[in-house]
Amino acid sequence: MTTTQPKAEVKEFEPNIIGFLCNWCSYAGADLAGTSRIQYSPNIKIIKVMCSGRVNPMFVVNALQQGADGVLIGGCHPGDCHYQHGNYLARRRIGVLKKVLEFMGIDERRVRMTWVSAAEGRKFAEVIEEITDDIRKLGPLKQLKRVNEW
Amino acid sequence: MVDQKLLVEEVKKIVSQEDVKYVIGYKKGTYGFAISPAFAYSPEYVDKFIFNPLCKKNLAVYPILEEKLPLKKGEKADTRKIGVIVKGCDSRALNQIIQEKGQKRENLVIIGIPCTGVIDQKKIISKFPNVTDYTDIEEKNGNYKISINGEVHNIPKEELLADFCTSCVAPNPVIYDILIGDEVEPWEPQEHNNLKELNEKTIEEKWAYWEEHFQRCIRCYACREACPLCYCKECMADMLTPQWIRRSVNLSENTAWNIMRAYHLAGRCVGCGECESVCPVNIPLMELNKQIENDVKEMFNYTAGMDVDEKPLFGMFRPDDPEEFIL
Repeated sequence: MTTTQPKAEVKEFEPNIIGFLCNWCSYAGADLAGTSRIQYSPNIKIIKVMCSGRVNPMFVVNALQQGADGVLIGGCHPGDCHYQHGNYLARRRIGVLKKVLEFMGIDERRVRMTWVSAAEGRKFAEVIEEITDDIRKLGPLKQLKRVNEW
Repeated sequence: MVDQKLLVEEVKKIVSQEDVKYVIGYKKGTYGFAISPAFAYSPEYVDKFIFNPLCKKNLAVYPILEEKLPLKKGEKADTRKIGVIVKGCDSRALNQIIQEKGQKRENLVIIGIPCTGVIDQKKIISKFPNVTDYTDIEEKNGNYKISINGEVHNIPKEELLADFCTSCVAPNPVIYDILIGDEVEPWEPQEHNNLKELNEKTIEEKWAYWEEHFQRCIRCYACREACPLCYCKECMADMLTPQWIRRSVNLSENTAWNIMRAYHLAGRCVGCGECESVCPVNIPLMELNKQIENDVKEMFNYTAGMDVDEKPLFGMFRPDDPEEFIL
């Protein structure tokens, strides 16, 4: 009897994406995408936050250090924030963070922001597909990855 | 330049006021071109005060470091004011601190000095490396007059002027109680030397550039300590739960620290150049700061520390902020 060795296949790079989704809109949108059985790529790992304004830019840097290749921040549409203006504040912060990263030589497309409402399950799936495609093309993030992590 | 006598006279008046605890100024250093900060609790001490183009240190950092010990029973808090001598950029730093409610305006006596640009210590030391005694410098008609061992050198201003001074937008203090001397003519702000070149690089080249610099970072946090706007009681870099950045010195952590430092100064940095001049491994931190300053100016039309009643950049928003990057 011969044991067949599994073939050493060159695996295509699968990006790791962290999604910080706001509890009231984007997370509900993701939930809707799930309950409506819409297919989207499984690369995204979702962390629920109460508001996109809760996302400290260091969350993003930390995620990138700990092995994420991209980060998505999801919030309510402007004007729809449960806490009046959390998403407006987040928009400013992430906008500047992207500029800082770009200037340092880390592709700004790795950090994305989106407005997804609780009714937009379809849009959520499309956004995830788009980001996964983008980051798959960019390849793994080398610059910030932490060494000696245990 | 500022009249020495007038400066001493005016500061003496302020120190002798009942409600002033002390005044922070500059005095001669002990070595070469060094200048020390000086704290005058009594009018006699003020005689040591000087101001010349070597006075680069941003004194706005000291009022924040004021230690407030817990009060004993029956003891009353010391509510006396602190006087600070400020140049244009320092006054912007104070403005920003007051704006963020880090200090109260009524607790400060601000003594403004119009500034015509300061000397970069690293430049002057590389020009005159073996000067051991304190050396005085005078500015005259666009030249710096330096006398070393009886020999007088006349150096053109551009050779010694600190880089960030060329892009200064406020040579005159924007906030002050008294102004010493006449206001100077502001000059046309020029863009920082390397920024244009850096912005034309591809993303890989940019990373190669910063990687080379961040690799050398020893994370001494001198940039943080010298910065007048890094005054958090507990810095995120020192936190243990959660530990945002590890203690180990390697590229990943160094980069994370530098992103964090630069980001926390976005829309707050006043461009006084302290971080860069104290850096022991010469990381061009001002390039980073200036770039963010330009970005913020472009995106939100915001300049830090110009108006005391303005709200902090990240504490406010406008519904029409740029959002072309949002999916």
